[in-house]
Amino acid sequence: MKLDTEAIKSEAKEMLEKSGEPGSLAEWHSKYLGKKGILRTLTSDVSDLAVEEKKELGRKVNELKSYLEEAYAGSLNSVTSIKKDKPLENFYKTLPGKKPEIGHLHLITQAIREINEVFSKLGFIRVRYPEVEWDYYSFEALNMPKTHPARDEWETFFIDLPEDPKLGKVVITPHTSNGQIREMLKGNLPIRMLNISRCGRRQSDINHVPTFYQFEGLVVDKNISITHLKGVLEYLIYNFFGKDTKFRLRPYDFRFTEPSFEVDVTCGICGGKGCRFCKEGWVELGGAGMVHPNVLKAGGIDPEVYSGFAFGWGVERVLMMRTGLKIDDIRYLFENNLKFLEQF
Amino acid sequence: MNVLIPFSWLKDYVKTNAGVRDVAKALSEHSFSVEKIVDDDVLEIEVTPNRGDGLSVLGIARELAAVLPAKGFSAEWIKKPFPVKKYSGKDKLKVTISDNSLVPRFSAAVIDKVKVKESPALTKERLSKVGIRAINNVVDVTNYYMIELGQPMHAFDYDKIMGHEMIVRESKKGEEIVTLDGVKRILPEGVIVIEDGDGRLIDLCGIMGGLNSEVDENTTKVLLFVQVYDPVRIRKSSMSLGHRTEAALRFEKGVDFESVIPSLQTAVGMLTELSGGEVSSELIDLTGTVYTKKHIKIDYEKINKIAGTEIKKDFVNATLTSLGFVIKGNDVYVPSWRYDDIDIIEDLAEEVIRIYGYQDLPNELPGGTLPHHTKTNNFALEDKAKDFLKHMGFFECYNYSAVPGNMAGQGALKVKNPLNADLEFLRVSLTPKLLDVLNKNRGYSESVKLFELSSVYLPKKGDLPEQPYMLGIAAKGVDFLVFKGIIEALFEELGVSADFPFEIGEHAGGILSCEISFDELAGVAGSGRVYSPLTGFNSIKEDITIIVGDTTSFSEIISVVSNADVRVNKVSFKDVYENALTLSIEFLDRAKQITSEDTKAIRDGIIKNLDSKYGIKLKV
Repeated sequence: MKLDTEAIKSEAKEMLEKSGEPGSLAEWHSKYLGKKGILRTLTSDVSDLAVEEKKELGRKVNELKSYLEEAYAGSLNSVTSIKKDKPLENFYKTLPGKKPEIGHLHLITQAIREINEVFSKLGFIRVRYPEVEWDYYSFEALNMPKTHPARDEWETFFIDLPEDPKLGKVVITPHTSNGQIREMLKGNLPIRMLNISRCGRRQSDINHVPTFYQFEGLVVDKNISITHLKGVLEYLIYNFFGKDTKFRLRPYDFRFTEPSFEVDVTCGICGGKGCRFCKEGWVELGGAGMVHPNVLKAGGIDPEVYSGFAFGWGVERVLMMRTGLKIDDIRYLFENNLKFLEQF
Repeated sequence: MNVLIPFSWLKDYVKTNAGVRDVAKALSEHSFSVEKIVDDDVLEIEVTPNRGDGLSVLGIARELAAVLPAKGFSAEWIKKPFPVKKYSGKDKLKVTISDNSLVPRFSAAVIDKVKVKESPALTKERLSKVGIRAINNVVDVTNYYMIELGQPMHAFDYDKIMGHEMIVRESKKGEEIVTLDGVKRILPEGVIVIEDGDGRLIDLCGIMGGLNSEVDENTTKVLLFVQVYDPVRIRKSSMSLGHRTEAALRFEKGVDFESVIPSLQTAVGMLTELSGGEVSSELIDLTGTVYTKKHIKIDYEKINKIAGTEIKKDFVNATLTSLGFVIKGNDVYVPSWRYDDIDIIEDLAEEVIRIYGYQDLPNELPGGTLPHHTKTNNFALEDKAKDFLKHMGFFECYNYSAVPGNMAGQGALKVKNPLNADLEFLRVSLTPKLLDVLNKNRGYSESVKLFELSSVYLPKKGDLPEQPYMLGIAAKGVDFLVFKGIIEALFEELGVSADFPFEIGEHAGGILSCEISFDELAGVAGSGRVYSPLTGFNSIKEDITIIVGDTTSFSEIISVVSNADVRVNKVSFKDVYENALTLSIEFLDRAKQITSEDTKAIRDGIIKNLDSKYGIKLKV
């Protein structure tokens, strides 16, 4: 079989140069590279040949194939550049691109990620502890005996399950502090824990939701002092709220810490001058304190040797304070109205 | 609990060069948070539950005496006690206390020749500043000193106490009393009450007096009454009656038992002055509980360790002294008004360091060794799954942990005290709520895809429920195989092998759902990747089209095809049309270049196996 690939090449080239329209280019493609095109026919002819001849011609056909393909690709580009001279070409490029549909991560997920990011750099290890919990871990072991009025502050949900003689009732934990005891009982010291978990309280209004998230920091080591809590807070606030935000500790009272504090940051709206959204320039971030010796003991840790600090704040609250998102009703976070979710 | 304390009233106790704003700032930073300043005078102060002593002018003045000097202001204690009267006279009160734990201290005195009239302007003005309505000079005295001294008091019309007899006891269930506000209250068991000589209830102790023994304009003999009640019973009673009075809120936080008599004497002094009356009884003082002085061993080093900086001994001693503690050698004696609050050295450390100033402590990051990092959770994998689904066009949802009965599912745990009927059960599945979200958003778009990654709560006998993390997915307007493909692609992304079992639920309205245990998924994640060495030989790709029946599954067919020969490198689904299934097969020989003769032989083998196993034939 004789094959003049050079003749095919020059003919193809000539035809290609004449074609200026995308339509005629397609015609060319079908003639040379199409299913019933010249190249296909040649390839099948070659496969019927004897081995010796096949080897020789096969190489030629392959070479022709790459030539044609390259020529075609080149022309495609030049056709596109010709397009530029078309009247609507400039406008066409100003049209919006055809975006793939991307979804939306929930605000709470976004906040949790940012919080975790800050703390992980300080060596805090993220954990998660049960939301449905024994009274013992949520209250009793946190230095809150059964009749203590401090328990009233937590509007607790109870689950219809039998009481355990030692661990008490089953509750939805109203805070992430149950994680303090559970973390301590693991017996691995020192501790730098970041517990981000679901909690529940019996309340629902524009500022409260029955399901919410808290993040709880716990550090236990030898010689941990208030200065360390302040250092960690400074790092958090600098990274999360920005370098212009100041903070302060105010005396407060929690059963599971001694001393106890409320942490305030300067109001993001007035910048600390004082306005109707804040108290004399400060807004409350949440509670913190030095772990009470009774809590360390309940966690199996000797308070004579070890000390620690802890804090536990609302994820949603911190997020809203930072972004200045003035979401008028916090319950929107759990309503899953797509018109709300699509905004984030 | 918030209290209103006028700065002008505080000045009766403390002379200072600080202004009202300085005082507010000093209190917020060192004692109690000042929430608001009203009319440049009245401080609205949030007093923490452990500090019942702070619910008074006296209590706040004590704080100022310690705090203002630390802030560089002057603070001079100027209040002088009322001169003590002589207590004698013919009027008696017969008292029976059924159980000393009800009323650890009981004190009273009778004042005769009282003229009930309006209080002086200053008294009325001060009461109005703290939100209390002036009534008459007798009642006003009791309210005035509750605010000033933190000691709730009550005034009875002595002549309305039948037999001049009081029996202090616990109520029986169903007993009734009409209180001063005119409301008839039906009592549960265990409320502290006082019964008079005629068997009438005349006082709902620590909460509100009875109407039948009220002081009115005709009253001439007043029984002034100052007590300490069992805080737990007061709290329980006041809560179960739904009647939270100023008195109850103070009693339940514990009042200063040492100030009972001075308070009574002060009130008697003021009342005789305002009403022209005179003392006509002995000072009645019954002590049911003896309080021992509490003391704590001072440990300066421990205080410094907590603070993280050195606080000088002198400062420690001066601060504690200014707060009313008495230091004798190594022991610190706790003042009676802090009796319930101060127990251990950490408590003393808090007192010292808060006055020193938390602002003045340095900020340091903790040093020491880093914790051992043991990976116990799947957070990274969760993030990966969430990101993947987001980029596939999904909305992430967060739903409440509790659901209404119709979404609860089998065996769901019940919430004993649900907020409402929509939150009655703990969910055992994420799907019902996701379907509900799809339904609520049905106008949003033709096609909607949702997911949630959260716990469900599965009952477990004798223990907390299992709380596995589930991935719930739901979509509408999405083709079945597209939906399935997303799940399979997610598995690929997480490194989970394609045979991980899952089920797709089909619901009305073309809605699809799937719920997978994320914990199980994570357990096998990352195991699916195996490295195949790259080869220089080319593969050959071929399509085959076979005729399938409805009784054979795709995976059964795939298994036959892939296992037919080691040179079958990859098999994938290409198309299905009616009963014709087209598969795309890639053949590769890692030892040499594969030829079309080779592939033909393999292909014939495949068809033969498919035929013999499932009767499947090539489409002709």
